[in-house]
Amino acid sequence: MWTWLARLRGVLAPSPDLAEELREEMEAHIDLAVDENIGDGMSPHVARLAARRRFGNPTLTAERARQAWSFAAVENTLQDLRFAWRGLFRSPGFSLVVVLTLALGIGANTAVFSVVDAVLLKPLPYPRGERLVRLAESSQKSEGFSVTWLNYQNWRRDNHSFDEMAAYEWRHATLTGRGEPSLLRAGVVTSQFFPLLGMRPVLGRLFVEADDRPGAPNTVVLSTRFWTDKLGRDPNVLNATLTLDGKSYQIIGVASSTLEFLFGTPLDFYFPLAPFHNGELKRSEHGSIRVLGRLKPGVSLTAAKADVDAIMQRLALADPGPENEHRAEVAFLIELRTRSIRATLLILMGAVSLVLAIACANVASLVLVRSSARTREFAIRAAIGAGRSRLVRQLLAESILLSVLGGLASLLLLRWCLRLLIAIGPRDIPRLSETAIDSRVLLFVGLIALLTGLLVGLAPVFSTRKLDLVTSLNESSRGTTQARSGQSFRNALLVVEIAVTMMLVFASGLLIRSLMVAENSSPGFAPEHLLALELILPSSSYHSDGAIQRFYDGLSQDLRALPGVDSVGMVTCPPFSGGCGDWFYSVSGHPVPAQGDVPVAFVTRAAPGYLQTMRIPLKEGRDFTDADRATSPDVAIVNEVFAREWWPKQSAVGQRIKYGGPYLEGPTLEIIGVAGDVSQIGLDVPAGPEMYLPFGQQPSSAMVVMIRASGDPERLNAMVRRRVVQADRNLPIQSLQAFEKTIAGTLARRRFSTLLLALFAALAVALAVVGVYGLLGYWVSVREKDIAIRVALGARPSAILRWVGAQALRLTAAGIACGTLAAWAAARWMEALVFGISARNIATFLIAAAGLASLTLVAAALPIWRAMRVDPVRNLRDA
Amino acid sequence: MSTVDGPRQQLEFLQGTLEVLILRSLQLGPNHAYGISQFLEQQSDQEFLVENGSLYPALQRLLQRAWIAGQWKTSPRGRRAKYYRLTPLGRKQLVAAASKWRRFVEAMARILAPEG
Repeated sequence: MWTWLARLRGVLAPSPDLAEELREEMEAHIDLAVDENIGDGMSPHVARLAARRRFGNPTLTAERARQAWSFAAVENTLQDLRFAWRGLFRSPGFSLVVVLTLALGIGANTAVFSVVDAVLLKPLPYPRGERLVRLAESSQKSEGFSVTWLNYQNWRRDNHSFDEMAAYEWRHATLTGRGEPSLLRAGVVTSQFFPLLGMRPVLGRLFVEADDRPGAPNTVVLSTRFWTDKLGRDPNVLNATLTLDGKSYQIIGVASSTLEFLFGTPLDFYFPLAPFHNGELKRSEHGSIRVLGRLKPGVSLTAAKADVDAIMQRLALADPGPENEHRAEVAFLIELRTRSIRATLLILMGAVSLVLAIACANVASLVLVRSSARTREFAIRAAIGAGRSRLVRQLLAESILLSVLGGLASLLLLRWCLRLLIAIGPRDIPRLSETAIDSRVLLFVGLIALLTGLLVGLAPVFSTRKLDLVTSLNESSRGTTQARSGQSFRNALLVVEIAVTMMLVFASGLLIRSLMVAENSSPGFAPEHLLALELILPSSSYHSDGAIQRFYDGLSQDLRALPGVDSVGMVTCPPFSGGCGDWFYSVSGHPVPAQGDVPVAFVTRAAPGYLQTMRIPLKEGRDFTDADRATSPDVAIVNEVFAREWWPKQSAVGQRIKYGGPYLEGPTLEIIGVAGDVSQIGLDVPAGPEMYLPFGQQPSSAMVVMIRASGDPERLNAMVRRRVVQADRNLPIQSLQAFEKTIAGTLARRRFSTLLLALFAALAVALAVVGVYGLLGYWVSVREKDIAIRVALGARPSAILRWVGAQALRLTAAGIACGTLAAWAAARWMEALVFGISARNIATFLIAAAGLASLTLVAAALPIWRAMRVDPVRNLRDA
Repeated sequence: MSTVDGPRQQLEFLQGTLEVLILRSLQLGPNHAYGISQFLEQQSDQEFLVENGSLYPALQRLLQRAWIAGQWKTSPRGRRAKYYRLTPLGRKQLVAAASKWRRFVEAMARILAPEG
């Protein structure tokens, strides 16, 4: 303690006399020794020399003595940094190149990290959002079933893993009695839903348990959005009523806004869920309920799933039914939300960190050149008393200073990069717009800059084991041994650099080719000249299937009669809309599948003329006709994938399938036609098995009416609108726009990731080219004398070309070979992003290798040319 | 580490020993750094080599702990030099440290002593 205080005093108020006094004391020391030596019979001159030799290094001694009074580490570090700062300006070119290279590497990494952080890592803004999970039902075959009302109640009552659970779904409701009728979106939730998501009442109250009970009055909670946009934040709405689907609901409150991605759509208000489901008495009676839960602290996802699965097993014994094998599907909300983008972002993060690795290799290589040029400086500093550890610390201080400057410069780049990323990023990446430079991002920059500095600074330490004082001092300024031993390390760096670049170029090549395949792949229909009209008929005014059919049949006839309309066809889910879900089926004449193995296919309901309107080719059989009615035999059209799967060698037409599979009720359908494949998901997702059912037999209140125009489809807008109003004055139009606009975004994500990866690959190539140029240039410059001697002895320029060129070729070939092996091994990580080609596509390998090889050889051309122009006379005379 | 010409290599100081030996040398009276190093080398029959790079920091550490104090004086031969002397605190430390080292050396000797 006492010592520590003394030291503190030494640091805070360093005694200016101490250094002076020590110097005097040492002089006196030497004088005393001289006196004694003279007494021993030496001459004064010899006596002084002997005394000095005996004393040792006075500077180092004084420094060590002074250190007793200071926190040496702090002082030395400050001194190192001061020295490093001055060093920066001694070689400004070197510093600038290093800072810029690192700024690029660190900046790109930080930009991608901030996206990853905002999208994948940051917890959801709900209370303890990291423990929020979504539950659904799953069978052995398939996941994502809705949870039945009875099952939910059992889960909520019997589980031991959740703090709380809530059930939710969404539905449409038509609002009448307040101006134009409008179709609104309602979140249908149990009372626990609001506290789970941390929602509070802005006005009035939210649902309580009493609202979940049977017989509770019809109540509704408004969303802040609806209250603001439609009701002008009127504080008197409480206790007013809304007429929804023809029923009167009392407004009891306004809920604070929250992220509503659970519903996939912004909501206008909330209904209590229980009244919609209280009549459901079977465990297999599915609506569209999903369940939200918050895990108790310390309970893992697996444990929670096992808990709910146990409840399901018990229920299967106590209350058996057709879904005895159903279990729970449990997923963290945040992962659910980012599932589709996760792989892409992680691959991008990996790619960009490889770019940083290349930048580090380049900088390390530069630092090595510089440190071998500074060998004499280090030797001199060692001679006047710097210990080895001090020299290493000095090197580290210099490189860390450089990398920190690089990090600061990268922050300038970052602002710009982020704005660009958000601007070009597809809209559907959740929370992408929340990307910002915050404390986490700053911390990341700091850490990565420090790490980079350490790595780069240690390069000279690794490359030269010992700093041999005498050799370095005696060596001629153009050192050979030192330079050569550094060279092999730098060669290795360059090989790694080329290898990593090869991997990035290959990966980006894969993505570019996938994008080309996706863009050129035929969608299976003709998207031009199509107008899509989306309608949902409110159940309040269309009570029966007959009413729905009459409306849509009448409307299509009206639309067909419009001038400029070629044909009209209706469908529940047009291509690329994500599909309307799949359903079980089984095939007559095939063995009955086990309960967990019942196949599923996309189910699309279409009216006669839909396939023709879309220009989806009918490969076999016939289209639906108006004769396919509820009273006629049940029929279906399947797509080619479906037909090939079951009847690869014979015609599917005339075969029979059972809708719902062997374990669920459903009609037996006769296949009357086979349609061409159209993906329900997007251009870059292959079509799955799909069955079309006739609208006449399976009507739906929500349809998309596809109108093929002879010219610009949007010129029909006004006329189409008028026809809809004529058909039903109270019917809101969900959307009406050219179909090409709807599907334009389908490749947005793929374009985004391809662009970014190509950018990183280009950055890597640029760095690698600079690396090759720098290394070979240095290699030539230290060998100028060798070359001069060879030329003087009669070597022709072609021999020099072969010698230097062989060096360049060796490094490039080694790098590309290593890179190819690594890319081959790593290709399977890319499979998630590759479309239409194999992740180990040979052509892409060859193109990447050839491209990279030619670029590195171009980079090598200038140093080779310089080597061939070495003037032997001047070089050898100067020596 | 330095070496001298001669068959025997001189001994380095173990951690903490130099401070005790400095205190011991000052027990005989105030002395300067050169005198201390001469004393230690002579008393150890040249077994110890006192490096100034160790001696001076050790002196500073002792000053810091206030076990010794320094004062400029003129030597008998007329040279000015900084003389160090033991403080009462240093004297107490010496007694404690000396007995500790004596036990240490005896223990070492017992273990290293040839059997029999």
